[in-house]
Amino acid sequence: MASDPILALEAVSLAKGNARLLDSVGFTLERGRFHALLGPNGAGKSSLMRILYRAEDGHTGTVTLDGKPLKEWPRKAYAGRVGALVQESVSLAGLTLSEVVNLGLLPLALPQSEARDRADEALALVGLVERAGEDAAHLSGGEQQRLFFAQLLALDPDIYILDEPHNHLDLHYQYVLLDAVKRRGKTVLASFHDLTLATRFCDRAFLLDHGRLAASGPLDEVLTPARLASVYRIDASYQNGTLAIKGAILDR
Amino acid sequence: MRNSLLWPLTLALAALALAILAGAFWGTADLPWDERFKALLRLPDAQPNLQLIVWEWRLPRVIMVALVGGALALSGVIMQALLRNPLADPYLLGLSSGASAAATAAIVWLPAAFVASFGLELLAFLGAMLAFVLTLGLAFQPGRGMDKLVLILAGVAISLFFSSVSAFFIHIADPHVTRNALSFLMGSAAGARWGDLPPLAIALPLGFIATWACASMLDAVLLGDERAVALGVPLPVLRLGLLCLAALLTGLSVAGAGIVGFVGLIVPHMARLLVGAPHRRLLPLAVVLGMIVLVVVDLLCRTLLAPEELPLSVLLALFAAPPFVFILRKVRRGL
Repeated sequence: MASDPILALEAVSLAKGNARLLDSVGFTLERGRFHALLGPNGAGKSSLMRILYRAEDGHTGTVTLDGKPLKEWPRKAYAGRVGALVQESVSLAGLTLSEVVNLGLLPLALPQSEARDRADEALALVGLVERAGEDAAHLSGGEQQRLFFAQLLALDPDIYILDEPHNHLDLHYQYVLLDAVKRRGKTVLASFHDLTLATRFCDRAFLLDHGRLAASGPLDEVLTPARLASVYRIDASYQNGTLAIKGAILDR
Repeated sequence: MRNSLLWPLTLALAALALAILAGAFWGTADLPWDERFKALLRLPDAQPNLQLIVWEWRLPRVIMVALVGGALALSGVIMQALLRNPLADPYLLGLSSGASAAATAAIVWLPAAFVASFGLELLAFLGAMLAFVLTLGLAFQPGRGMDKLVLILAGVAISLFFSSVSAFFIHIADPHVTRNALSFLMGSAAGARWGDLPPLAIALPLGFIATWACASMLDAVLLGDERAVALGVPLPVLRLGLLCLAALLTGLSVAGAGIVGFVGLIVPHMARLLVGAPHRRLLPLAVVLGMIVLVVVDLLCRTLLAPEELPLSVLLALFAAPPFVFILRKVRRGL
């Protein structure tokens, strides 16, 4: 596979107080590929993603988008290229579903008719188009997640950053929404705990452990029994997209 | 229809015009209607003393409370959006207690002639700004910017500090001396003159335009800080800039009519119930509703116990408490 990097991280580190959240992490995202970001709780997945959608700028090392350092990109232009699905629960009282989706188009400044078309199309993709005029306060957790998926699909950035995209979603929508993203053919970096989902969608995986990049490559190469034991603390094997638990859950 | 601003705003503007007229017509003096119209229109045969009352006493006062109401509603909307807290109000960051502490300290400490020449209003404004700057300083963490919760807690701490300062001065001072300060602090626009209007009359429209220009960014902040940043909103700059604007408007309101509670808390919620949360609709309606509420309450303060005047805060709290409870219930249900 010819390498065509769109986003590159080099020696990215992040510390808060005495805690080292990321320790010299480096990898590249290939244009048009689906990448999984794996690792146990606290491994640094969300911190890394926060750097990529610019909610965190206290890091060292370099991040480049199309060869240009992240800090040199104007915020709006960058937000139009790199979109994120984040984990943050909020009350959406007073905003309708279509208003929320329209806000996702903020970086683009589209003509109103095109914005409306994009928002309707995205709401249809997530199965909420009939409720477009309702107050978003009445949505359940899963519906809210679908709404934010619609927001991102309407923006359709070059790079999708998805922080635990399956959160709150039922099985049907886990597959439908990730399929919708995959069909766009854009670059994706998604964090997963569910390895079956990761297997279905991702071309390549990065495994984080204690803020360091423990491995990268195709899933079966990354998830060796030794790494499952040392990183995830389970005695298991991973083959052909299936995780088989062999023995006891390890208690280190 | 919550997504139409046209009707609510048209009705609100009509109501505002009526309220301002009522404010100019009604007062302690009981006079025939034709005399009142003549005075308002400055007709040649109008009674000169009545013309003086309407033009030099009532109109500047009515316009002052309208400006104060609008400014407080605008800062309330800004505070509630930026702190994403439905209970935020313009005084949350310590401004009211800073103003009270400055006013009481000046009355007790400084020579009366100095206070008179400098103006209690200006001193209160400076006190409010000092409290705001201290709150920002406490909340600012180098390299991390400002956390909403830290900012609110810093505001509470600064409020408590300045409240004790005022309490101390009121405690040690002669009650006759502090009565002035106390009545000022309970909110009143009595004695407002045309010359007092320019600061707010300039700051409110400019502040409104600046906030209006940031309306879609404020909407994005409602989705959460992380989402707003991911959408390209320069959040630290936006937050600092608009908080300073809200503080300035609040400080000028305190200088204009003392400390007027509740308007900045309740009016944004009233407007939100009518047109929803998007700021392009919310901002104009909230400002006009704030003006109406304060003009009407000021009129009631002047007339209910005439010739005695009630402080604005007293009536406002009486009127605002029931809607406040109603809104709390709405908020608890997720609106």
